[in-house]
Amino acid sequence: MATTVTTPTQGRRKTPTRHEGPAGRRPRPNWLGAILGIVWLVIVIVPVYWIVITSFKTQANYYAMNPLKPPPEPTFANYQLVIHSGFPRYFLNSVIVTAGTIVPAVLVSFMAAYAIVRGAGRTLRVMNGIFLGGLAIPLQATIIPVYLIIIRLHLYDTLLAMILPSIAFAIPLSVLVLTNFVRDVPRELFESMRVDGASEWTTLWRLAFPLTRPALVTVAIYNGLAVWNAFLLPLILTQSTEKRTLPLAVWSFQSQYGVNVPAVLASVVLTTLPILILYAFGRRQLVSGLTAGFSK
Amino acid sequence: MSTARPSTAPAGASLAGRSGSVTWMALPAMVIFTAFGVIPLLGVLGLSFTSWDGIGVIHFTGLRSWRAELANPGLPHAIFVTFKIMILSWLVQTPLSILIGVFLAGHQRYRNWLAVLYFIPLLLSSAAIAVAYKALLDPNFGLGAGLHIGWLSQDWLGRGGLAVAVVIFIVSWQFIPFHSLIYQGAARQIPRTMYEAAEIDGAGRIRAFWSITLPQLKNTVIASSTLMVVGSLTFFDLIFILTAGGPGDATRVLALSMYKTGFQANLMGLASVIAVILVLFGVGLALLLRRIGGGANTQSTLEGG
Amino acid sequence: MDPISISRRTLLRLSLVGTAGVGLAACGSSGPDKASDSGGSTGSATYWYLSGAPGEGIRTNTVKRFNEANPKTQIKGSTFQNDAYKTKIKTAIGAGEAPTIIWGWGGGGLKSYVDASQVEDLTDWFGQNAAVKDRLFPSSFGAATVGGKIYAMPCETVQPIVLFYNKTSFEKIKAEPPKTWADIMDLVPKFNAAKIAPFSLAGQSRWTNMMWLEFLFDRIGGPEVFQAVFDGTKDAWSNPLAIQALTECQKLIKANGFIKGFSSITADSNADQALLYTGKAAMMLHGTWTYGSMATDGGDFVSGGHLGYMNFPPVDGGKGDPTNTVGNPGQYLSISSKATAEQKDIAKKFFATAVLSDAEKKEWIASGGIPIVKGADAELANSKDADFLKFVYGVASGAKTFAQSWDQALSPTAAESLLDNIAKLFQLQITPEQFATNMNQTIGT
Repeated sequence: MATTVTTPTQGRRKTPTRHEGPAGRRPRPNWLGAILGIVWLVIVIVPVYWIVITSFKTQANYYAMNPLKPPPEPTFANYQLVIHSGFPRYFLNSVIVTAGTIVPAVLVSFMAAYAIVRGAGRTLRVMNGIFLGGLAIPLQATIIPVYLIIIRLHLYDTLLAMILPSIAFAIPLSVLVLTNFVRDVPRELFESMRVDGASEWTTLWRLAFPLTRPALVTVAIYNGLAVWNAFLLPLILTQSTEKRTLPLAVWSFQSQYGVNVPAVLASVVLTTLPILILYAFGRRQLVSGLTAGFSK
Repeated sequence: MSTARPSTAPAGASLAGRSGSVTWMALPAMVIFTAFGVIPLLGVLGLSFTSWDGIGVIHFTGLRSWRAELANPGLPHAIFVTFKIMILSWLVQTPLSILIGVFLAGHQRYRNWLAVLYFIPLLLSSAAIAVAYKALLDPNFGLGAGLHIGWLSQDWLGRGGLAVAVVIFIVSWQFIPFHSLIYQGAARQIPRTMYEAAEIDGAGRIRAFWSITLPQLKNTVIASSTLMVVGSLTFFDLIFILTAGGPGDATRVLALSMYKTGFQANLMGLASVIAVILVLFGVGLALLLRRIGGGANTQSTLEGG
Repeated sequence: MDPISISRRTLLRLSLVGTAGVGLAACGSSGPDKASDSGGSTGSATYWYLSGAPGEGIRTNTVKRFNEANPKTQIKGSTFQNDAYKTKIKTAIGAGEAPTIIWGWGGGGLKSYVDASQVEDLTDWFGQNAAVKDRLFPSSFGAATVGGKIYAMPCETVQPIVLFYNKTSFEKIKAEPPKTWADIMDLVPKFNAAKIAPFSLAGQSRWTNMMWLEFLFDRIGGPEVFQAVFDGTKDAWSNPLAIQALTECQKLIKANGFIKGFSSITADSNADQALLYTGKAAMMLHGTWTYGSMATDGGDFVSGGHLGYMNFPPVDGGKGDPTNTVGNPGQYLSISSKATAEQKDIAKKFFATAVLSDAEKKEWIASGGIPIVKGADAELANSKDADFLKFVYGVASGAKTFAQSWDQALSPTAAESLLDNIAKLFQLQITPEQFATNMNQTIGT
C-alpha cells in the first residue's frame, strides 16, 4: 500500500531544529510557499472557527457582538436543544446505515476480488468488466429507478432502503482496490496452502484476509465516509423523522430553528463531531483510506 | 502452474476447473451490484422512453420524453451551468492543489501540522457545509453584516454570478485538501537526484518547479482532474441546500435539474432523459481524460462527495 | 399559527364563489350528531397529517376525542414534517400504501390523485349529510372540487395573505401606511433613504414572490386573468393586463422595493419575518400564519402593538375588487380509494363527528387561527389576539373572491415551471413578455 503518507527514501530528513538538505546545504526558506500555506490555512480555519464559537453563543449574543469574538459566557443551550430534537436517533440511524453498508460491502467485494485474482474463465472476466464499468456510473443518475425499485419492494422509508443501493455503489471501487492488494500476495503462499490441502474458502479467510487487512480498513473508511455524509439517498428514499440520518437532519434543523443560527451551527458541529474524533485518533488511516488507489 | 494437487480437488483439476470453485465467491457482489447498479442503469434508459408522474401507471411513450426534453430551453442552460462550474472549479482547484501538494511534500514539521488542519473540510458532509455557509453568507444576519465589512455582506446567493462563484469557492474549500494529498504523495516520489542535477545547472526553485515537478506530475494531474471533472457532474447536496439552483436558474446543474424535474414537477420520464445525458457525459469525460493521459492508469471514481 | 404546516405552498384552487355567505349568525350548535352510516363497524383507519405547533396538537386532540367517543373504531394518526410530507404522501399513494385519510392542500395536487383514481368521490356523501357541508365556509369547497365533484372534506383554518407592516419604521420616516399601489411606490425611495428596506421578501422560496403576482394580477386585472390560465385558455398569460401586472412588479424590484439579497433568503427559516420585526424592513406581504411566529420570536413586536396589517391596497384603475384576497380557504381531508369499506366508513364518521367539532374550533381560535366554520367570529372576542383575528375573519368572509394560491391550483408540473419563471422574473433575467411566453407553453400540462 503506497499511501501518500509513507515516507519515501528521497526527500528531506526531519531535523529537530533546522531543516537541512541531504547535502548539508541550508535550503533557502520557501517564502512563497509558506505565505500561500498560511493564506490557505486562514481560509480553511476561519469558517470552521466561526462555526464552533457561534454554536456556543446565545441568539442575542449572535446578533449583538462581533461574530469572530468568542462568547463571554459560552452556553450549551444550543447543544441541548439539538440533542433534544432527536439527534441521538439520527446519529443511531447514521451508524446503522453506515455499518450496515460497509460490513457487507467490504466482505462481498473482498470475496469478489479474491475470485477475480485466483480464478479464471469468461464468467469472471465479464464480472470484472462490469465492476470496472460501474466506476463510471454516477449514483445520482440512477436514483429514479432505484426509487422505483425500493417502492416496489415495499422498502420505502426504511433504513434498508438506503443500505442496499449504498452497498451496490460501494462495490466497484472496493473490488478495484482490493483486487490490487490480493494480487500482491505472493503466489507461493497460495501454493503452499494448496499443498496443505486447504480449500479456497479456507485460503480466503486464513491467508488472504489477514494479509489484506490494511486495505480492507482503507476501503471501509473511504466508503464509510461517503455513506456517512450521503444526502441524496436519504432525501429521496426516506421521509419520516424516525428514519432520518444526520446530513438530512442538519438540513431540516435549518428550517426548524430558522434564524436561530447558533442552534443550526450546533447541529453542524454535532453531526461532524464523530468524524472529527475518529480523525484525531486515526488520522493516518483515514487519510490513506481516502486517497486509496491513487498512488498505486 | 504447480503440479501439486490439493487432496480436495478432483483428479485432473485444471486451472479452469479450479476457478470454477472460486467463481461463486464473486456472485454475492455481482447480485447486489446488478440489482441496484446495473438494473437501475438500464432502468433509467428504459424510463426515458416513458411518461410517469411518480404516482400513477408508467406509460410507454416512445421518444416523446426525449423530444420534449431536448426541446426544453432549460436543458442547454443546465448543461452550460454544469460545464461552467466544472471548468471553473477545475481551474481554481488544480493550480492550488498542485502548489499546496508540492509545498506539503516537504517534511518540515509545521507543514505536517498544516496538512492536519487542511484536511478538516473534507470530513464535513456537503450538507453541513452548505448549511453553515448559508448562515455565514446571509447578507442581513451573517458574517459580513456582523463585521460591518461592506464587501463581505454582498448578496452572495442572490446574484447569479456571485452564486456560481460561491459554489466554486465552497467546492474548492472542501476538495482542495483531497487533491493536495494526491499531489503530495506524487511529489514525494520524484527522485531527489533530479533536483540536485538541476541545482548544479544553476536552476532556481521556480525554474525547477516548472521543468521538473510539473512534468513529473503529469499522470497525477490526469488522475486528479478525472476525479474533479467527473465528480463535479454529481454536485447536488451543496447546491440543493445552498441555492436550490437559484437565483433564477443560475446554479441549476444537470443533477439538480433532474431532481427538480422528477421529484418536484412529477415528470419522471423527462428526468430520466436528463439522467441518461448525465451518464453519457460522465463516461465520455472519463474516456476523454484517459485518452489525454495516453491510457495512463487513471482510476476514475465517481464519488460525488 | 402554524409556521411549518402552511408556511410553504398552501393555497387552493380559484374558488370564484361570490361573497362567502358567512353570516354573522353564530352557528353555536355542534356539528351534526349522526353520520348517515355510522353503523356498528369496527376496525381501525390510518390518518397522516402535518407535525409542528400548534396544528399538530390540535389534530392529535381531534383524533384522540374521536377514539374516545368510538372505542370500536379507532383512528391511528402519524405525523410528518411539512417538506417531507409532500413527497411522502405522493410516494405512498404511488406505491398503493396511502393512509385511509389523506391530509392535503386541495387544488392541483388533489386533482392529480383524482386523475389516478386514488381518492374517493364524496359528492353523494355530502348530499346525504348536508348539515356537515352547510356549517363550513362555502368558499372552502372550491379547492375540494374537481370536475364538479367533491373529493375532500375541508377542514382547519382559513389563511389569507395580508400586508404586514412595522409601525415603528413608519414613525421613523413620518409616513402613513399605503392606501394604494401609488402610495407604495412613493414610500419605496423614502424608506431606502432611511436605510430601511421597504419590503421583506424570502425570495429563495419562490412561492413568496408568487404572492406578489397573485395580488397584482387580481388588483390590476381581476380574478378572471388567472382563471383563464387555470381553465387552460390558450395564451392566457399574454393577456395585456397580465403583462401590466408583471411590469408593475418588476418596477417595484428595479426601484429596490425589496430587501437587498432577497433572492438568498428562505421563508422556511423565518428570516423574512425577522427582518420585519427587527426593523430592517418596513413591510412584508405574507400569510396570516406568520402572525403567531412573529408574536413568539419578535420580542415585544406584536405584544407592544408595533405590528400593523391590512389587505393589499388597490391599484388605481385596476379591475379587481379591493376586498378580494388570495390565500388558503382551508385544508383538506380525502379518503383513499384503496382503503377497505370499513375504513372508509370510519373516515366518514370522523369527518361528520370530529372534524371541526366545537372543541376543535375552540382550539384553533386559541391558537390564533380562524376555523372555516360559519359564525366562528362570535368566539373571537375572548382571544388575546382578538383584533388580528377579527381582521382576518373580516378579510376572509368579506372577500368578493377568495382566490387560491397558483402553485396549488396548477398541476405539480405547471407549478414547478411557474415558480422557476417567477424566480427569473424577480431576478430581472426575463421580461414580462418572456415570462408570458414561457408560461403559455405550460398551459394544459
